[in-house]
Amino acid sequence: MSEPLAKLFMKVASVRSAAAAGRTFLESYPVDEIIQKAKHGKDALYPFSDLDEYGRALLGADISLRQATRFNTLDQLVLLPPVFTPKRLEKMTELRREPLYGDVSLEATVGGFRSKLPITMASMGSTEVAHGASDHLGKGAAEAGIPMGLGENIATVWGYAKRTKPTMPTFKQRLSSYLDALDGSHGGVVIQQSVEDAFDELWNKVYTDPDVEPFVRKGLVAFEVKLGQGAKPGLGGETKVSREMARSLKGKYYFPEDPDAVERDLYERHSAPGTYTEEILRAQLRSLRNNFPRVRIWVKSGPFRDLLALFRVASQERIDAVLVDGKEGGTGMSPVIALKDLGLPTLACLKRIQDARVEGHKTPYVLSGRLFDGGHIVKSLALGATAVSFGRPFIVAAGVAGAKGVHNFLEATEVEIRMLASSLGKYALADLSLEDVGSLDRHLADALNIPFVYA
Amino acid sequence: MPVEELRSSYRLMREPRIRRILRIQAALGGAIREYLNGQGFTELLPPIIGPVTDPGIRGAKQVTIDFYGREYKVMSSAILYKQMMAASLGRVYFFSPNVRLEPLETASTGRHLVEFVQVDVEEAGATYEDAMRRAEDLVAHVSDFAKTHLGAELAAGGRTLNGAAPPFPRLTYDEALDLLETHGREVSYGVEIPWDHEEFLSALFREPFFIKDYPRGSRGFYDREDPDRPGVLRDFDLIYPEGYGEAISGAEREHEYGKVIARLRETGENPSKYGWYLEMLREGIPPSSGFGIGVERLTRYVCGLQAVWEARPYPKVAGVVSP
Repeated sequence: MSEPLAKLFMKVASVRSAAAAGRTFLESYPVDEIIQKAKHGKDALYPFSDLDEYGRALLGADISLRQATRFNTLDQLVLLPPVFTPKRLEKMTELRREPLYGDVSLEATVGGFRSKLPITMASMGSTEVAHGASDHLGKGAAEAGIPMGLGENIATVWGYAKRTKPTMPTFKQRLSSYLDALDGSHGGVVIQQSVEDAFDELWNKVYTDPDVEPFVRKGLVAFEVKLGQGAKPGLGGETKVSREMARSLKGKYYFPEDPDAVERDLYERHSAPGTYTEEILRAQLRSLRNNFPRVRIWVKSGPFRDLLALFRVASQERIDAVLVDGKEGGTGMSPVIALKDLGLPTLACLKRIQDARVEGHKTPYVLSGRLFDGGHIVKSLALGATAVSFGRPFIVAAGVAGAKGVHNFLEATEVEIRMLASSLGKYALADLSLEDVGSLDRHLADALNIPFVYA
Repeated sequence: MPVEELRSSYRLMREPRIRRILRIQAALGGAIREYLNGQGFTELLPPIIGPVTDPGIRGAKQVTIDFYGREYKVMSSAILYKQMMAASLGRVYFFSPNVRLEPLETASTGRHLVEFVQVDVEEAGATYEDAMRRAEDLVAHVSDFAKTHLGAELAAGGRTLNGAAPPFPRLTYDEALDLLETHGREVSYGVEIPWDHEEFLSALFREPFFIKDYPRGSRGFYDREDPDRPGVLRDFDLIYPEGYGEAISGAEREHEYGKVIARLRETGENPSKYGWYLEMLREGIPPSSGFGIGVERLTRYVCGLQAVWEARPYPKVAGVVSP
């Protein structure tokens, strides 16, 4: 093949592989469901197509399997409403009328923050897809009154207060679009600092920033120690950046290709996973409390095999919340082999959370990793989680209709939670428990100590 | 806090009261030098900038400057250089100017300045018990000096200084927490004692006292962990009495390369940032102990001042733009 032809071939192949990647996402992620919710809010909850209308359509549960999964997910669990509902009686006594799904209280306390829903917006990092939509995401989360995470490397890549690229917001703008839209009593921002952000003392900058001070004073700021991520536990952050940016970041990150020596459009940028032992983590958490006494301390963990040991440290150190990201968790960039082979599935992480509850740990646990609807939330809470964290659903929703899309998506999800909880005869999130969940799989039922529904 | 007075501190500096305080401060500096020189210490010129500085500062931000395209830091403390020079000259000290961009909440504590000077003392081969003895001798010497030579000046400001006779009482961190608890003040184990509690504790005493053996995680990576008591650091604070709070922070140094690497991770940083320092440790330095005593806080205590900014020419307080 001549050289130009070879180049053309490579280009077409790369476009085709990009298209294939997009198709894989559309096929494997419930994008359409989220788009409908982002467009129509709670009206998306009833599955009428444009051809159907109420009174004519005949509907029932979809019993097909959309994808064959390699490992068990929360979709192998079902919720088990009872006939007899003493808690509903309690609620009726309180209300002096029959309770309805609107009477379910969804107020939650998550890691020291008040939240209108048991949901947080997952920490998204410096990748363009998250960063470009960050204004809508921040406003959407704040208006919904839920906590929001700010991921690693944002300040290092896009600048703390001074833009590194004219068209992209800074860390501080991203922070402000959330904080400025809060109602003052709900929500809170959870800020991560990577090893590279630590080089520039990101947390110290935030803590001494006069514009952030009022929010620190109100208790609306948390710092999150990131121990890993669902999609690539044990690996550091990875992304691609332009040559100009690669040059400016050269001293702080690992670049397999030296941007000063090799010419490319984009350069792989790797950051370190960070080295921990129990002693190091314990001391780090203590020095955080010591150095930043007025912020909450969160820990984000990937799906590691020693989660329970981590939960014990977190409990002893009275950490405000531990977020656990399962292997199905979203990512801007991760090696395929990591997605395939590294880490515990989200449901297995939930099992570790359940174990921690049995051991008596009271730490708030937030679960994430391919969770996207009200069912996932109610099941997670029933099995011991305090809240869940969504990432990709918000990016899709913001892509559909900006902050309004986030609002609509959350409105739909809120109604789903209300309906499911009320069907279980529960009107407070704390009442959800093991009795509410059953398994379609016998091994899973045994592992989670819940009924196998066919037995 | 009198923001207006600070903004026009050039006027403040001419007030008789402040002039008297600054003259006392100069005399105290002389007394410190007299003591340390007499004990065989060498006074060195202090470092101002460097590739890294002390990360163990509660909540404060470091000042970054551009050093020919590389980021340098203005000293938040000269701790790393003290170890360097103790390895060279044995007993060293310097009057070290430090800058820490403290959080705004510190503007009203009466004990925080953004720019201040501490006398940084380091002694090769010394244990932390040696360093505590050195610290109390120094404070006793300065206190005697003030009573003998500055009595009239102090009296003019309405101040009578209590005596300070070594050995000063030594409380462990655990005992300090217990003592606070008997007064209904709970401090969660593992963090440095918060300012308001420390002030309360300080007000219970008539003479300076030590709090020693802080837990790992509450102090900088360079405070040595006791090999026989894991989790406990061989370090101390000297606290002034009568509510004046912390005078001195000191410790035996963690000087073994492998241990420092692990301790550095407590700051969440990549150890590579500490390049020269780690290379120095890897090549090996002698064990040492030392401490730093804030000159403005010492002046505040000796003169009995409300706030530490009164003990400083051109004071800089968090968030206040002043000369």
